[in-house]
Amino acid sequence: MFEEPYRWVEAVGNRRQYLDEQFQQGSPVVALSYADGILLLTVSRGTPKLYEIYDRIGLGGMGHPADLEKLRFNLLEMAHVEGFNRSPSDVTGSRMVKYGLAPVIKQAFEEVYKAPFIVKILLAELGTKAERDAFLTINYDGTFEESKGGAAIASTPAIQADVIGSLRKQAELAAASLSQAADTALRAWAIGSLAQRIEKVDDEDHKESMRPSSASSPDATAIESHLRETLADKTIECAVLERTAPGSSKYRALKAEEINNLLLPSLNRIPK
Amino acid sequence: MGMEGDFLQLLKERGYQFSAPASGLEAQPAEAAEITKGTTILAMKYRDGVLVAGDRRATAGNMVMYDRTDKVLEIDRHSVMAIAGVPATAYEMVRILEHSFKYYRRTQLQELSFEGKLRAVAKLLKDNVAAALAGTGAVVPVFAGYDFEQGAAKIYFYDILGAEFEGVEYAVSGSGSPTIRGILHYLNTWSDRPLSALPEEDAIVQALRLLTSAAEFDSATGGVNRDLNLYPIVKLITEAGIQTTPANRLQSLFEAKVARHV
Repeated sequence: MFEEPYRWVEAVGNRRQYLDEQFQQGSPVVALSYADGILLLTVSRGTPKLYEIYDRIGLGGMGHPADLEKLRFNLLEMAHVEGFNRSPSDVTGSRMVKYGLAPVIKQAFEEVYKAPFIVKILLAELGTKAERDAFLTINYDGTFEESKGGAAIASTPAIQADVIGSLRKQAELAAASLSQAADTALRAWAIGSLAQRIEKVDDEDHKESMRPSSASSPDATAIESHLRETLADKTIECAVLERTAPGSSKYRALKAEEINNLLLPSLNRIPK
Repeated sequence: MGMEGDFLQLLKERGYQFSAPASGLEAQPAEAAEITKGTTILAMKYRDGVLVAGDRRATAGNMVMYDRTDKVLEIDRHSVMAIAGVPATAYEMVRILEHSFKYYRRTQLQELSFEGKLRAVAKLLKDNVAAALAGTGAVVPVFAGYDFEQGAAKIYFYDILGAEFEGVEYAVSGSGSPTIRGILHYLNTWSDRPLSALPEEDAIVQALRLLTSAAEFDSATGGVNRDLNLYPIVKLITEAGIQTTPANRLQSLFEAKVARHV
């Protein structure tokens, strides 16, 4: 069926298009370093999208829940077997992604006879010192990126860049309190989510993309009305990796009440 | 896929084998092997939860191997295993349990129940029977933790075959334990109040006195070494988690309420 090379390239191209469509409805995930650790945030409807992987590693995912579960188990197995056989400090996000997860995702993506993983994954890794915090994002084709300070996953690379851009604009993020970090993350999430919605409408209208470039990013009012709309039927999900938490496990999912208290000041600013 | 969240099973699938007695050692009597062993541990209820304490000596036959052993090991935020017996096996058990409880929580997205944790300990001991009988790996642990379903801190002790018993008021293990078992029974029955009514400080003082008594009659128990500022390990388990009593607090309590009596 794919005896001619260009057919294979075409099939992979079709796959890309199919996969890009699958993420349009998804909710972006934002992660950033703040004064006491790392915060992960997304907005979800029911199924959780943030998970604990190991003592210092948290995961945020987009895509099909069954695929995400499969890869989450892969990561958990890898991390725990490695942590037991060697030591917990040998379990690093970078090794798990480069030698564990990325090859598996890439292979599934390129085996055009089989179904690909419909997932984008973000790993946040708490360093022993703040400057060693690390973020990794993996795309559905197995490509991955490492970054410092913060990271995001969203439906397209361009939107992802916009979200990260909005995080970078916040100076002093490294010294931010948890509540400031949550506020920044929520707004960055809204920028991504709003851009995805605009892109989707454009796609449906079969127009050329009219998505505003980052120079004319959406104004504060547009973001706030988008937040008000989405929070009416969805809930904010937050987790932290806290450097000073007692014991070896640093990951903690925040309870709904705590999230409300943290974001109360910023949610109150949104006009009803 | 590990849908059962069973870490030991996962390890076995990857070729790991817990506790295999070397065939050459099977014929040897335990005494001849002169393997390193741990010594006196105790757990008792007190007003706010459970106190777990252990001396710090490890011996091999007549030789003192080490005087800074930690035999009271935290497995997660709410459970502790105190170990008596062969440390090599005991530490391996603790490592397996630690990873098992974390793996269960992270895969199943809920804490393993207290009962589940007790079973996990029993299962490891059962896997270890051959080594225990060969004399190379006997471990007799005391497991204590906070049971959120029952809303109470609890104590369990085991025999080397993995049978599990609840220590309603207290539990002891190790070569120095016969000495203090009697004292605990006496204290609990005929003092003005039972152990479970003791405030934190009194409970710590009793633990120090008990371990000092064990060291008095058992050469394999370390007791307190004031010259080296070496005190037993004392951990307190309450609903809030595990708290390790700092050495300076043990020191001042020892000076004030234990030392003058010895």
